[in-house]
Amino acid sequence: MTGAPVPDRGELARIVRETVSDVLGTEPEDIHETTDLKGDFDIDSLELMDIGARLETALRVGIPVSDLTGAATVGQAIDLLADRLERPE
Amino acid sequence: MTGRRVRVAVTGMGVKCPAGNDPEDVFRRVLHARPTAAVVPGLAEAGLPVRFACTVPEFDLAPYIGRREARQIDRATALLLCAADDAVAGAGGAVRGPGHRAGVHIGTGIGGLPGMEEVVYGHGERPMGMPVHTVPKSMANSPACRLAMRYGLRGSCMTYATACASGTNAIGEAARRIRDGELDVALTGGVDAAVTKVIVSGFARMRALSVRNEAPELASRPFDADRDGFVMGEGAAVLVLERWDLARRRGARIYGEVAGYATTCDGAHAVAPDPQGAMAAECMRLAIADARLTPAGIGHINAHGTSTVLNDLAEAVAVERCFGPQSPPVTAVKGVTGHLIGGSGAVEALVALLCAARGVVPPVATTASTPDVGALDVVLGAPRQVARRPVLSNSFGFGGQNACLVLRPAP
Repeated sequence: MTGAPVPDRGELARIVRETVSDVLGTEPEDIHETTDLKGDFDIDSLELMDIGARLETALRVGIPVSDLTGAATVGQAIDLLADRLERPE
Repeated sequence: MTGRRVRVAVTGMGVKCPAGNDPEDVFRRVLHARPTAAVVPGLAEAGLPVRFACTVPEFDLAPYIGRREARQIDRATALLLCAADDAVAGAGGAVRGPGHRAGVHIGTGIGGLPGMEEVVYGHGERPMGMPVHTVPKSMANSPACRLAMRYGLRGSCMTYATACASGTNAIGEAARRIRDGELDVALTGGVDAAVTKVIVSGFARMRALSVRNEAPELASRPFDADRDGFVMGEGAAVLVLERWDLARRRGARIYGEVAGYATTCDGAHAVAPDPQGAMAAECMRLAIADARLTPAGIGHINAHGTSTVLNDLAEAVAVERCFGPQSPPVTAVKGVTGHLIGGSGAVEALVALLCAARGVVPPVATTASTPDVGALDVVLGAPRQVARRPVLSNSFGFGGQNACLVLRPAP
């Protein structure tokens, strides 16, 4: 999409955890690869869209709604995003 | 009218307003008639013709609102939730009953416009960059529905937008729902937080605001000969209303009752009050009759008293129409707090009930002489002791909105 360098998985994980914790009003340390946003934080759909919008801005990549709703854990979401960054639509 | 009527008890009070962040602080500040208007840096830096307002003293939001929710709500909703938490805590177990028998009735004159103003400034060039929560944050019913969410209240959840009368209408309508048997409990009140560049400019453009920039503390002077407009304020107040018998049964502390309510409209002008005060006077008469009283039964009047030339004149005429040449003592809280728009009626109902219960009428802050309001017995200089009797609390809004409450102190 742009010429920006693609963050490696560690960097991507950091960005995702910070974004998620900001929206949920918690600390990045509280968000793990195994965190289930629905089960652990009762996240609602609007908060999920908020996370998506922020990640789109931070990563400069389009994120389909299915990427957000399809991941069961934060780790899976990071994997989906890494994939998306490798092969932007 | 005969028969027993359901009585509506006030069992909790919470407030976040320029005069203080709990009911006792607000009562004391109003009693001592100490104004709160001060320069607001954001207004001064914008070079507006009005550089001051009455703002809520800073307090820690953290005990009330977590970071997650704080990001999703605007200032008005935050102030309302804080006031409501205090009211509910003070009321003990008022909201522990069935959720569908408990409702939320809130007034706001300005709603989410301040938040939308911020969005337009921040994202006007690229609207799709706006926060995801913009709509739920700025919708007019955001304060009310967030409050219902917070306590899981599932009865009627209503938002009243009747400009400066919104808070008074909300309390009156909530009381009716209890009286009519629909609700056992209501959290009710009003809020606005619109000390922003665009909204203050809007009122300034109409010349509705005082421009006493050289002495903001002297600007809000309801009924005074030298008044030159209202002072914008912000804040919220919430009352817990409860069916009297249920409140008694659970041994609740009862401050008093919402005894009477009425609302009318001038049906004449978008902003100016009817100079003859016909429907404002009718509103007072109807509210007093609703309380099954006559004007002679009213101990004091908590006037709308905005400090604008036209309102205070029309209100004085209306009071005389209702009460005759001998009015009860009149006070006006806005001399201290400024005009909280949708929050005013609620803050003033709270103050009026405390004053009625304690048999004292605060003097109008700053006001020195009232030559153009005729026979109106405006309390000046020092508090006046009166009998503990019901108080009439008036609110009149743009759009010709009139709303009056009669609040009776507990026996």
